Amino acid sequence: MNVTGFVTFALLTAFGIVVARLISVYLKRTLADRIPKNELNVMLRVINFAVVSVFVLTALPFVGVNPTGLIAAGGFAGLVVGFASRSVVANLVSGIFLMIERPIRIGDQVAIGDVAGFVEDVQILSTIIRTYDGLFVRIPNERVFTSNITNLTANPVRRFEYVVGISYSDDAERAVEVIRRVVEEHPFALKEPEPQIFVDELGESSVNIVVRVWSPSAVWYEVKTELLWKIKVELEKAGIEIPFPQRVVWLRRDRDELGKDVPAREDRGNNDQDSRGGGER
Amino acid sequence: MFAPVRVERVGRRLVYEREGVRKILPDCEIVVNPVEPVNLPKNVTRYLMVEFPPILLKPNSSETIYLKFPIEIGVFAKQGDKVTVVDVFSYEKPKYTLYGSPRRGVVCRWFFSDVWYEIPEVDRLRHGVMRLDIRNGGDWVEVGRVVLDCYAMKIYYDSFASCWAEMRVLGKSTAVTDFLDRPIAKGMRKALELYTARRLMGRSFTMEWGLV
Repeated sequence: MNVTGFVTFALLTAFGIVVARLISVYLKRTLADRIPKNELNVMLRVINFAVVSVFVLTALPFVGVNPTGLIAAGGFAGLVVGFASRSVVANLVSGIFLMIERPIRIGDQVAIGDVAGFVEDVQILSTIIRTYDGLFVRIPNERVFTSNITNLTANPVRRFEYVVGISYSDDAERAVEVIRRVVEEHPFALKEPEPQIFVDELGESSVNIVVRVWSPSAVWYEVKTELLWKIKVELEKAGIEIPFPQRVVWLRRDRDELGKDVPAREDRGNNDQDSRGGGER
Repeated sequence: MFAPVRVERVGRRLVYEREGVRKILPDCEIVVNPVEPVNLPKNVTRYLMVEFPPILLKPNSSETIYLKFPIEIGVFAKQGDKVTVVDVFSYEKPKYTLYGSPRRGVVCRWFFSDVWYEIPEVDRLRHGVMRLDIRNGGDWVEVGRVVLDCYAMKIYYDSFASCWAEMRVLGKSTAVTDFLDRPIAKGMRKALELYTARRLMGRSFTMEWGLV
């Protein structure tokens, strides 16, 4: 290897990087409006990698390395390098499989293991997640590939559910009608699949009405938060009470010989046995 | 009652105002026309579904019907042939639905219309008229809805907004729909579109989850 060869190698590699960059910028500008952002990013990354690889392979002979020889000389050196870079290779291969299988795309809302948030980037070695509270999390692709992935926005629509409790003294049919009207008025509470609103349970403190609504995944959270408050306001306007959890307590009193109120006989007995029990029922 | 839209000249600038929206524009031409009805309250889809009382079609027959469709109103700033959108609003309350399954279906702006066999009268600030040519190349079939890709919608307007669509029925539950680039009556002007630039794919939409 001589200085000229090394300089040629460096120049060719640098030229390759510049060419790859120029092609990426050109394609990005040309295709930005025509191809979805996530697909464009993957495509640009592959093109970038391919162009730089071609230039590097072309430049290698100038530093005395024959690329075909490299392949042939795999053997022991390859084994050592391969072992040393096992996790890198695992991440790389996982990254390629993620790009082919595409269980997640840039912009999707996902939960991978214990990390949930927006997919910011799917790189060749790692996946970047922006959590809901704005934190940057880098997950190695091997972990992404072997974890359970929940993609919250992969399907076009999602369902959410509320349980609305109303007072036993209120008319449940009227409450269902009010809730149905509120749901139907919301543009993103989908007409089909039809919303389900029904009395589900006679609870301890309330008659529980289940409200199930489908909404476009892109606006699911907004619709969920907006609708709940609207339902509460409209139920109140209709005079329907959303009760607090409550328990009916009966106070029983006996009268002594002088006609004064005293705790019921059984309670007196209990208090005699347990000196700490000072309360009345 | 319609919320007023106002454009006022202040010096060499224009001030555009509408119900909580206020924008300062350079001295330019302002164009107001009906646009594709998939933007409000937020753009979540490109598809429009118009549902109508089902009509029965004879084998190998065709039928032309007129439907109403919801419109949104676009306000554009124009300088020469360069156009940008300033605001989009509507007097018609939007509603969305799903066409197909929750796994593979598409979200659509939904509208219910009656069926007419000649151009109906419409509330021109809320609705437009869609001419729908249905061609049935097979057996008896019932059609009660049409799903169209609004990114390919061509709206023409005069005293009312209009568009022309066609539906080729392929089977009991499958059809291909398209918008045609032509006015339904003479003398109509073509409206400026919001989605011209985004169109790359074919213009047709395949309805594969039923026609009723």
